[in-house]
Amino acid sequence: MIKLIAAAAVAAALHITPTVVLVKRPDAVKTLLPGAETFFANEVHLSGVDAHRLHEAVDWSPDDGVLTFYTGKQGQRVVGSLVFVRVDTPHGPIEVAVGFGPSGTVSGVILTKATVETKPWVLEALRAGLTDAYRGLTPGAVPAGAAAIASSVATLPHYMAEQVDKGVARALAAYGAFYKVVGT
Amino acid sequence: MIYDLRRVDVAVKWLVSCLLATFGIAYMFGAWMVGLYAGFTPKSVAATYAEPEMAMHMPPDTSVVVRRQVTLGELAATDEQHVVDRDLLVQDTHVHVPMYGVIAAALSLVALGLPLARSGALALITLLFAVPWLDFAGMWLTKLASPRFAAVTLLGGWAMGAGYTVVTALALWHMWKPRKGAST
Repeated sequence: MIKLIAAAAVAAALHITPTVVLVKRPDAVKTLLPGAETFFANEVHLSGVDAHRLHEAVDWSPDDGVLTFYTGKQGQRVVGSLVFVRVDTPHGPIEVAVGFGPSGTVSGVILTKATVETKPWVLEALRAGLTDAYRGLTPGAVPAGAAAIASSVATLPHYMAEQVDKGVARALAAYGAFYKVVGT
Repeated sequence: MIYDLRRVDVAVKWLVSCLLATFGIAYMFGAWMVGLYAGFTPKSVAATYAEPEMAMHMPPDTSVVVRRQVTLGELAATDEQHVVDRDLLVQDTHVHVPMYGVIAAALSLVALGLPLARSGALALITLLFAVPWLDFAGMWLTKLASPRFAAVTLLGGWAMGAGYTVVTALALWHMWKPRKGAST
């Protein structure tokens, strides 16, 4: 009986809860590309070699091998670009929107999706100032948002912050390697 | 009739009433959750469980960029709804089916104490156990065979509501209806 109860507890613990939208994608785009009037989806269909290179760098491959950079323009001026990155965790996926300014540095990071279970942990990490640590990062930099808030959050919010670090690292790698082929 | 709920001790009647009320609360929240994440139409259920189109992804020889203008409305459409992939459905089936079975068994035990004809009791017990079969058969067939099978999952949901309502209504009526000359 104890084994049965333990098995049920393990099964319940492994159960991934549904996804919740923290910030709608259009709202994230408007925030990360302020003042933009027109938007473009730049879909980079990665070659096998490039997809392998990205996977080797950050242990990640975008869905169907397609990286999508969204670019915002005000008139002919490029306001910036952003990419949505999904990170799968044992507690379900999260989605991170990483914005880049015209100079190629991170202009902001927004958590757009979490799960019913992870939402409170993510919100605690955000309240601790997690995304502040990413501003100004350039491709090649190592995101350290989790370390920045380690002393002010509990274990699980810190763990989620590490997952956000992972998402930002993927965005930086993708931007550094492939955004130049997009052109503007 | 194996036992008679009409003549059991009032404490047993109270136990059964509390059990049914608890199931009722759980079912109401279950319906709320279904409304949030899967919906009540064949189309929305199919969108939750159907396998994505299996287009053969062939990476190009060199990475290529496809650019198109998008509106914020189109970006909103990319906030895809909750999707249950195959791995999650395996987990959901593993976690939910045993619990569905336990609930069906509990309601069946209540039904056994009701003054029903043998055929009526058999039909009611079959209806109660049809819930997990229809619900998860519908989900798996939607994923593996055709989105049209989403209707089977909806049928399972309605079977769950119908089975619970019938058992609860009959049990409460037979347990608590005033009887001439009865002291309890």
